[in-house]
Amino acid sequence: MEFRDNKAIYLQIADYVCERILLAKWKSEEKIPSVREMAVELEVNPNTVMRTYEMLQTKNIISNKRGIGFFVNEDAIANVKAYRKVQFMDDELPVVFRNIYLLNIGFDELQNRYDAFVKETFNT
Amino acid sequence: MIKINDLNFGYTKKDLLFKNLSMQLKAGHIYGLLGKNGAGKSSLLKNLAGLVYAHSGSIEVMGFDPAKRQPSLLKQICFIPEEFHLPSVKIDAYVKANAPFYPDFDHQYLNDLLSEFDIPVAQKLVNMSYGQKKKLIIAFGLATQAKLIIMDEPTNGLDIPSKAQFRKIMAAALTEDRCIIISTHQVRDLDNLIDTVIMLDENAVALKASIEEITSKLCFKRMTELDETVIYAEPSLSGYNAVTPNYHHEDSKLDMELLFNAMLTEKNKLKTVFN
Amino acid sequence: MNNTFNIQRFSMLLKRQWLEFGKIYLITLGVAFGVIATFYMVAIWPSFQEMPSYDIRLNFREPLFLIFGFLFISVIASSYFAHFGQKAKTVIDLLIPASTFEKFLAAIFFTAILAVVSYVVIFYLTDLGFITKLRTTYSSLATSTSFNDSRGKFTMVRDNYDYFFSANKMNLYPQLYAIPLFVTAVFLLGSIYFNKFHYIKTAISVMIFSGIWTYIVMNSIDFLTRGRHNKQDFMFSNGPDKDLALWLVALFISVLTVIFWVITYVRLKEKEV
Repeated sequence: MEFRDNKAIYLQIADYVCERILLAKWKSEEKIPSVREMAVELEVNPNTVMRTYEMLQTKNIISNKRGIGFFVNEDAIANVKAYRKVQFMDDELPVVFRNIYLLNIGFDELQNRYDAFVKETFNT
Repeated sequence: MIKINDLNFGYTKKDLLFKNLSMQLKAGHIYGLLGKNGAGKSSLLKNLAGLVYAHSGSIEVMGFDPAKRQPSLLKQICFIPEEFHLPSVKIDAYVKANAPFYPDFDHQYLNDLLSEFDIPVAQKLVNMSYGQKKKLIIAFGLATQAKLIIMDEPTNGLDIPSKAQFRKIMAAALTEDRCIIISTHQVRDLDNLIDTVIMLDENAVALKASIEEITSKLCFKRMTELDETVIYAEPSLSGYNAVTPNYHHEDSKLDMELLFNAMLTEKNKLKTVFN
Repeated sequence: MNNTFNIQRFSMLLKRQWLEFGKIYLITLGVAFGVIATFYMVAIWPSFQEMPSYDIRLNFREPLFLIFGFLFISVIASSYFAHFGQKAKTVIDLLIPASTFEKFLAAIFFTAILAVVSYVVIFYLTDLGFITKLRTTYSSLATSTSFNDSRGKFTMVRDNYDYFFSANKMNLYPQLYAIPLFVTAVFLLGSIYFNKFHYIKTAISVMIFSGIWTYIVMNSIDFLTRGRHNKQDFMFSNGPDKDLALWLVALFISVLTVIFWVITYVRLKEKEV
């Protein structure tokens, strides 16, 4: 995994975990890598991974079963989406809006682009 | 794990490197020791290992005074110096002669580390490159299961794949009862590995804070224009890389080089943020 | 856990030190053996070849033993801590989990005990080999010699070398057995005291110190006893107090040896990188 420059590492690790869950690589009720395994894989400090896991616990995405490890929650996907939505709305959308405003892009043009993108990428 | 109180140290009495330096370090962390050339990074590490003696003040490592060089403490210290010399024998002879001093020595772990680092066990030490020797003493040091791991510029001399292996190995080596201190110039090699930054400047600890604390107080971001909130900025391709106080509770990624340069040029502004 | 001395840890330390120091030691010992053997060969070889002659010179043995013994033990002692002149080599040695006292004792073991003993052994064996060879060449069962030996006892031997060794009993000075230890102590201190050129610097320091010391002693004796004593007679006295004087010298040398060792220990304890 390549870390980007502008976002805190523990949040980038959270995104990584969320993505795995959304892509169903890690299914609900399944055990996820331990703090140590994750730290080794990503070459980061275990305390940083711990911080990520604690944060994801408060969002009810994963939970800690004492002595066994961390597991994906039953309703993790819904919680990931809720979490990601908040993040997107708060962090990423303002940047997009700023560009839309600066470049004077019309909303109907955006709508067309959006429909084409969904069709191409997700084949619906 | 480590308590330093009012440490005064210098290679000559007049020219002190540390003046009344005090600091506490805990187990379960990887401390990154930063500082300009000559700020005393290596000297501080040597003080902790009892390789040099302070003029006054006290150092306590796991309840021992390192200056007494007692075996009970020495076997709990793994010190990786920047420059070192190994006898010209085979690796297994070296291990056989040195491992018995460490009662918890883990031979299986050593073999795992050596194979991860691609070091053939039958090789003679004299035929190995500096990087290979460095990897060997790192592997040996970690296999001693020492509680205090001190590394002076560990990534110097390591090639690119070895640096990645080193990061993985160190991530795995941090346990709750271990304290790891790494001094480095090459912060980019290690910035995700370090959880607490110690910066030395002008005979003292200029900053000692966890990444979490730093990013809660400071924001590292790209800016197209500078405003009055900016503490320190460096020009970059897309404007400026800037450090500002973190007014809006943003979670930014700590840019250690930027922080380091900010500390050197805008020390007073940063100090007010941290106090 | 005993932080000063533990026999198990000490034996581990000896093994570890052997790994590094053993090589220097064995090479030096090999050279010593080569030189001793060469001397014997050169001096005795003709006697193996020619007709028996009673003009075989064996008087090179004592000076050879003394001079080369001095060189050997001083070289060994002066290389033990020599690597402490280089930072890179010192760090790892200082951090070996053994006490400073054990590291010091290991130094004493290698320099004062192992070096001295192994030199005596190797000299003895070389000597034994050559002398045995001589005996087989020159002993004769047909002739015998009777004489009073060095202790005045009447003796009769069947071969002439027995005669040589019984008649020429050397003066033994057991009081001077402390000297080899003293030599190693001086050069061991030199090896930790100086950072470079340990041997030369130690040798020069010893010469300067002993020169100054001799000058002071001789002049003060002269001053103190002026007009009351014959200087010549005083210096080469072989009177009834000779043994006492020798014992005093032995005591003095032993005390000096211990003092040098203590200084070495303190230097080792205070060694910084």
